[in-house]
Amino acid sequence: MARKLPDIQKQALTPIDMVRYSGASGDFNEIHTVPKVARSKGFKEPIIHGMFLMGWASDAIDEWFPGRKLTKFTVRFIGMAHAGEAFVIEGILTTDTAGELQIKDISGTGKLVGSFELEELPV
Amino acid sequence: MDQEFHYAPFRIEAGKIREFALALGLRNPVYFNKEAALDAGYPDIPAPPTYTTVIDFWNERDLYQLFAVWGLDPNDILHGEQSFDYEKDMISGDIISATAVLTDRFDKKDKGFYLIETTYRNQDHEIVRIGRSTLIERREQHGAEIAGHPKTSSYAD
Repeated sequence: MARKLPDIQKQALTPIDMVRYSGASGDFNEIHTVPKVARSKGFKEPIIHGMFLMGWASDAIDEWFPGRKLTKFTVRFIGMAHAGEAFVIEGILTTDTAGELQIKDISGTGKLVGSFELEELPV
Repeated sequence: MDQEFHYAPFRIEAGKIREFALALGLRNPVYFNKEAALDAGYPDIPAPPTYTTVIDFWNERDLYQLFAVWGLDPNDILHGEQSFDYEKDMISGDIISATAVLTDRFDKKDKGFYLIETTYRNQDHEIVRIGRSTLIERREQHGAEIAGHPKTSSYAD
């Protein structure tokens, strides 16, 4: 019964996109924006906010199911993501009201896995 | 360690929603256009699904104060998991109060785990959202970013 949802391509972010999200969200942790701090914490370069990826996932659900509200949304952040990397969002609908999704880079390495539940369709 | 943290009441505002939605690249017009929101059945511009981040961080009593109370360096914190229950729409003009509770705290290898459940209520004391976060405190910085990170594991493993 599982139904594959259309893949959604996400273009690579620039460092300024991460600065913009920091300002908009208020999450100013420097590991997301300041290369020197990111390196001092063991990262090769600043990492994309997990909630940036979860926001993308919410946009994907909106595209797949226009006008349907989420009732539950759960994600696990499974890999570091960086500016300059393109991503794809893949999803499947497992029941009429539930699905799973993941965000991968173009080499197939997972960054986020999640599940979601939608409100019942009106009868 | 304080087990409970109260955020200051926070007003949901259409201009801030617009900024947040633009930064994320959200495409649903309900976040930008009141007419579109009304057409979709909302009384005004709604907050997007991950908007509670704004409440947590742009708050007079924000998540950084919570980290300070718990003795954590924000740059040592990774977000391992996040979950939301959506109970009711959060709409521009709402005043949201939120309480975070530390529901579990444990260590695994060289990492500290903080499980936080945050309940968001509107001005009518109705629960609008429940957020559950797993935050991971990294104590070993080097070699954190391992090439070929296994697909099915998480930061937590």
